[in-house]
Amino acid sequence: MVYTKKTPMTFILGVIMLVYGLTVRSGVLDALLKQSGQIKNSDEMIYMALTAGVIGIVVGLWQMIGSAGEGQMDYYLSTVGGALFILFVAFFVKWWFAPEIKVFSKYVGKIDWMGGKYFHKIFGLNYIVLGIITGILIVNTTGVPKWAENGVRLSRLGLKSGVILLGTLYSFAELTKLLGVSIVLIGIFVLGSVWMVLWLGSRKKIPNSMAGVLSAGMGVCGVSATVAAAPVVVAKSTEIAYTIGTILLWGVFMMFLFPLIGNALELSYAQFGAWAGTGILNSAQVAGAALSYQPDGIETLKVAEVFNITRVLFLPIIVLWLAIWYVKRESTGEKVDIGKVIIGKFPLFVLGFIILFALASTGIFYPANHYKGKYFDNTKVKESKMMTDAQVAKLKSEVDKVEDLDHKGAMSRLIENRKVMSEKDDAHIRTLVLKKKVLSKDVRKILKKAHKAVRHTSKRVKKFRQLIVWFFAFGLIGLGMQITFSSIKQAGGQPLVIGTIVGTIKAAASLAVIYFLTDFAFLS
Amino acid sequence: MAETKYDRGSALSIFKSDRAEDLVALAIALGLAFLVVAFIGS
Repeated sequence: MVYTKKTPMTFILGVIMLVYGLTVRSGVLDALLKQSGQIKNSDEMIYMALTAGVIGIVVGLWQMIGSAGEGQMDYYLSTVGGALFILFVAFFVKWWFAPEIKVFSKYVGKIDWMGGKYFHKIFGLNYIVLGIITGILIVNTTGVPKWAENGVRLSRLGLKSGVILLGTLYSFAELTKLLGVSIVLIGIFVLGSVWMVLWLGSRKKIPNSMAGVLSAGMGVCGVSATVAAAPVVVAKSTEIAYTIGTILLWGVFMMFLFPLIGNALELSYAQFGAWAGTGILNSAQVAGAALSYQPDGIETLKVAEVFNITRVLFLPIIVLWLAIWYVKRESTGEKVDIGKVIIGKFPLFVLGFIILFALASTGIFYPANHYKGKYFDNTKVKESKMMTDAQVAKLKSEVDKVEDLDHKGAMSRLIENRKVMSEKDDAHIRTLVLKKKVLSKDVRKILKKAHKAVRHTSKRVKKFRQLIVWFFAFGLIGLGMQITFSSIKQAGGQPLVIGTIVGTIKAAASLAVIYFLTDFAFLS
Repeated sequence: MAETKYDRGSALSIFKSDRAEDLVALAIALGLAFLVVAFIGS
């Protein structure tokens, strides 16, 4: 079978990308890019568009002029057209569609009846959601062109590469922030949710592949877990998309509901953070709920994020569990050799995630205590970044306005040493920056500067994040291109019902536990 | 896309098995991680 199609399209896509890269480099689009907030990505646009453009032109010329015969070269080079097609859509979604939605959302303004938030934030209209939707729209309207079909099958490879690279963003140092009780608590809810989805799935008779992938998404955390578990339960593209949709939809409602219940029950910041980090599935929505509960401080957000991260670390266990579960469910009576299943079914890409997680923990990529690419180090503060005498005098004049003893202590040590002295002090200073009613604007500005002086951004984390974003964008757009409306209809409403039941039980049970476990202050 | 369209791989992948796809993903990720460490300062 010869896979290469005699088409000019790969060449044309290559030319368009090359021209786009050169146009951005010339600066002609600067005004537009500034308006959409994408000017910071212009370097990325230039090198990605130029590289993809050159590949498209070279391979496209070969496809048009050369004569392809059956073989490896024909098979693999025939995927380039499809890969460029997905990338072309990804460029559009990530650089133009998603940013313009954000601009429009800000133009519309914060919506009062939606908790005073922008609609793009509420509905999570980022490149992930918009990418899948665009893919689905393409396949259900114009359809994926014949010359691109073979390349669209590369999307899962993109997702797997993204999940492996995700391991670089976490480290054991994050685990040390947790005490045994928190890990046990999260473990119970993660494993409990997975078990419940599997149980309900078998009762409601939904396919094993659907139940498996939904359980990972509902138990661990959204997109990455869904993607990681999909191959071991042989999930279809529709089932993956359905799971992601269920999780995001669930999160939208919970973002509103959680702060209302938290306020009604007068939960402490740490309690609410623990609850949101356990009960809401999507990371961005966890952060949204935490910030909505405590807009003038970060205690809630910090606890929520720690709980959220810990869930990801259960990923390999869940994948292993699902691999064994799936083989047992699909086997027809014969005895299942668990050792054989582990060796035969455990996905190597999840092992890759563990390898990169272990490497990141050694500090090979960046200081192991980083969080989201930023890490604390007060030994690197340059003299020019130390506080001046005038700034010290300004802080001294307002330090007595601070009533909280921890916050006051952190500010006093800052005054004494002209720089932030510890990570804990830094957290207190960050909270003081938000205390508009307590401190003057000038003082808050000085505190913000002092905080920035001890926080360093790792360039490598930034690069890894960028790579992960692109792999996920590529993979999810390709995934969307494999989902027809008829396949969604075929999946039915049962998965959404199961997801809602399990999510509600998990949220209610975790609230009950957290309500009685009041001492989460060690995390804040 | 129907399964029968391809005599290699499946409707979801160009690789003959999940393991092969995993290995390629692993090679890509480790290769990129190496490049990031080699060419980008911490």
